[in-house]
Order: sequence, then structure tokens, then C-alpha cells
Amino acid sequence: MTRISSLRAQAIFMSPATMIGVAIVLPPLLYVLFTSVNGSALSLDAFGAVLTSALFRQTLARTLYVAGLSSILSLLLGFIVALHLARQPPRRRAFLMVLVLLPFWTSILVKAFAFTIILGRNGIINNVLSWILQTKIELPLVLNLFGLLVGMTNFLVPLIVLPVLASLLAIDGAIYRAAAIMGAKPARIFWTVTLPMSLPGLFAGLLSTFVMCLGAFVIPALLGGPHDEMLSNLVDFYNRQILDWPKASAISVILFAMAIVFATPLAVWRRRKV
Amino acid sequence: MSQTIHDPLSRRYRAMGTGLAVAIYLFLLVPIVVTFPMAFGPTNALTFPPKEYSFDLFNIFFHSPTWLASLFESLKVAVTAMTLAMLAGVPAGYWIARNDFVGKALVTGVIMSPLIVPTIVTALGLFLYFSYLGISTTTLSIVLGHLMVTLPYVVVMVVAGVNKLDRNLEFGAELMGAGPIRMFLTVVVPQLVPSLVSAALFAFLLSFDEVIISWFLAGSQTITLPVKMYTALEWEVSPVIAAVATLLTMVSLVVSIVAIALRKGTPVET
Repeated sequence: MTRISSLRAQAIFMSPATMIGVAIVLPPLLYVLFTSVNGSALSLDAFGAVLTSALFRQTLARTLYVAGLSSILSLLLGFIVALHLARQPPRRRAFLMVLVLLPFWTSILVKAFAFTIILGRNGIINNVLSWILQTKIELPLVLNLFGLLVGMTNFLVPLIVLPVLASLLAIDGAIYRAAAIMGAKPARIFWTVTLPMSLPGLFAGLLSTFVMCLGAFVIPALLGGPHDEMLSNLVDFYNRQILDWPKASAISVILFAMAIVFATPLAVWRRRKV
Repeated sequence: MSQTIHDPLSRRYRAMGTGLAVAIYLFLLVPIVVTFPMAFGPTNALTFPPKEYSFDLFNIFFHSPTWLASLFESLKVAVTAMTLAMLAGVPAGYWIARNDFVGKALVTGVIMSPLIVPTIVTALGLFLYFSYLGISTTTLSIVLGHLMVTLPYVVVMVVAGVNKLDRNLEFGAELMGAGPIRMFLTVVVPQLVPSLVSAALFAFLLSFDEVIISWFLAGSQTITLPVKMYTALEWEVSPVIAAVATLLTMVSLVVSIVAIALRKGTPVET
């Protein structure tokens, strides 16, 4: 494949990264697995205890629910943005892309903080509503499921826009012209061409945001209520408060397994595309 | 990515779509914009918009030993993690993009795995592993943790950059008798500079903003800025946080503007 494939060159180029892989990347993952089975005792007690605990089950159900709901919401919003971007001339699109990428690059803590200011009891929205209605309004918009979903959606939309936009732009323009020549009305073209042909991108976006959500930590901790903890927060709880590392590890292994299950179709699909 | 789609829409739907899209852009940007005026507000209350403007909050931040210490800790960690990730990731990305070798899938799989593994799992694993090694809660442990998560991004960005290169220059250099290292340093690297700079900036920002891994590895002497901010947000929302948020946003803004400018036209491929 190349002309400089000497082993010496390969050793020079690949060694540092390989060493990091062997010394830093692999051990932590193996350590979680090792700790979850109680080390060399190889017992599944931690898994048994976790799987039968009501706290874990509730948290798991909530994690799946929140992840599902926020990825569907983000998909909806992200699709609208991607459609809008796809219709812009390239120059304007590049400018609008910056508006999508800036939030993507912004610290998640900044966003969480901003939403406490916007949605809090004395936050911007409540103040504006109070001013309009001329009475004191204190809607509970944060530290509950609503605040959590707002924060998650805000975080995920940029992650949806990128793959969906790519799949929209990959549609051959001739197909639209053909549909139009055959007399299809705009709405029909949308339903029979644009939407079906962007489905792979939508599907990829949905799965990857769902996997992202499964491991959410900061947003549920800061914008969710005391009952909105997700699996990551439970791992932190067992690690930090209870100091029960086998349980923390067992939950991590389950979380990782779920991520793999949902990410596998994505990997298969990406490979087929190449 | 240069064409525009020609899916026609009736005027009414088009207007509706544009309206919705504008609302969503605002929704995406509002959290970034909101913290700015707050950062210049008074020190006693978090009200929007602030009644009076001053630099008091920044003054408090820059005179607080704990906030400053966390800022320096973050800078130290981010610069070191970025440097190490570049030193290991640039040659690896180049080699992976250009060569097939025995064990390629395995090695790249291991290096890239932090992209798939939920960060919380990585964080717990690093904590357990570094505790075993006895280096948990040190700056070194945080640097290594950040190196683990920044390296795959550097490799991905370098692979993308290498795939866009013009091979003829390299064949030329080879014909003239340049060895692999010499050719890499004098022909490949200069052409890759924009990709490399944006990879480095991205690695820096990723480390500078990283919360979860730092949270698991932080000791009393090694609290990074995001960890300090996370704790502050958990306990009480003090106005100083607005100044911190603005500082963090400024760093992201500068980094992302430079990175976007460098990679004109193709900001989509991360």
C-alpha cells in the first residue's frame, strides 16, 4: 500500500500511541471489569445486588426514558436546522454552521449555569412572565425533568445537525428535478424524496445521541431534580458516597454494554457506507 | 459539501421552516450569550439584566487563591495533555491513514475506544487503576486521563487531514532520496499545519473543559477549573461563577474561531 512500510518506520510512528493504548487506555477498562466481578474472586454478587436493587432499576428506567425523550426531541430540532442549512447557499451556510458549532464547543458547565439563570425561580423566563402578567410567577422550570430535557436537548442538537446535514447534502439534485418534472408537488417531494433519503443520517444521529445521553452526568446533576439522577450519577454515588467499588463497576459495565448494543448498528452502518 | 439541496417547498412551509430554524439557533446560542452580562454585574445578586455593570466579579476571581489555583491547574493539565496527545497522535494518525499493518484494527480499536466508552466508565476505571498505582489525585493522573480521551480526537483529525494531502509531493521527495522520518517532517508536516493546529486546539479545549474524568481524579491539591465550577454550581450559585463561565466561553470562542477559520468550508468533519 505504501513505499515506506519498513518495520523501523512503523515502530517510530506507532510506538508512542501504542504504548499509551497499552499502558493508559486499556487498563482502566479492564479494571472496571475486574472490580465488577470482585477481583480474582470472580463473583457476580455486585451484579446480582445491583440488578435486584430498586434504586438501580428506577435509575435505569429513568435513564432510558430521559435518553429516549431527549434524543427524539433533539432529532426533531436538529432535523429542522439541518433542512434549513441544506437549503442555504454555501457561503451563508458556512456562517450559520458557526452558530451551530459554537454551542458544540462551549463548556457544558457554562450551558448548565446559563439554564439555571434562564429557567430558575427568579430566572429570566419567570421574570419576563411576571412582568407581562403583572403578577409574581415562579414556574418550576429547572431542577426537574423539564430543566433536564431542555439542557440535554440544547447539548445534543449540534450533534444531530452534523450527520443529518451530511446525509441531506449527499442526495443527488437530479432526483429532485426528476420528481418535479414528473409533477410531484413540493410536499410530496419532501415526503417521498427528502425524508426517506435522509433516514440513514437521522437514524445515525438518533443512535449516537441516545448513546451520548446514556452516559450523561453533568446535566442531570445540575439541571435535574433530586429524583432525576441517571446511571452516571449512580456510579458517582457508589464511588464517592458509599465507597462500594464493585457496585459502581457493575453499573459501569452494564452502562457500557448498553452503549455497545445501541452503537453497534451505527458501526455496522458506517462500515457498509465506506 | 458545496452544493445546496433543491428540494422545493411551498412558500408557506419555507417560511415556517425558517422561523423554526431561527428559534432553534436562538435556543442554541442563548446559554452562551446570557452569561456575558451577568459576568459584569454586581457581586451580591444574580439578576438578569444586571442593574449596574462593573469588573467586580473578575476582580474577585483573580484575587481568589482557590479559583486562580484551579485556573492554573487546568492550563497546566491542558497544555501537557495536548502536547503529549500531539506527540503520540500525529505520527500514529499519519501511519494509520497510510498503511495496512498487522494488528492495525486492534491498535486503532484500543486507541479509539474512549470515543465509544461512556466517559463515566473511563473515569471510574482511571480512578481505580490510578489508585492501584498510587498516583490517583495527582496532576500526573489527570494529565494521563485527559491524554486518554484527547488522543483519539487528535488521531481522527490527523487521519482526515492526511487523506486530503497531495501524494505527488511525497513521491517526489522519496525519489530525491528522503528517508521516512525526513520526508514526514519536511514534506508531510508542513502541508498538514492547518489540520495539526486545529487538532492541537481541539485537544487543548477538550482537556480544558473536561469535567467528569477530572472530577473522579481530583485531589484537594489538583482541582481543575471545571471541577471547581462544578462543585460551586452544586453547592450554591454564586455570582462569581458568571465570571468563570465567561472566561471559559472566551477560551472556547477563541479556540473554535481559529479552528473554524483554519478548516474553511469543512467544519463538519470533526
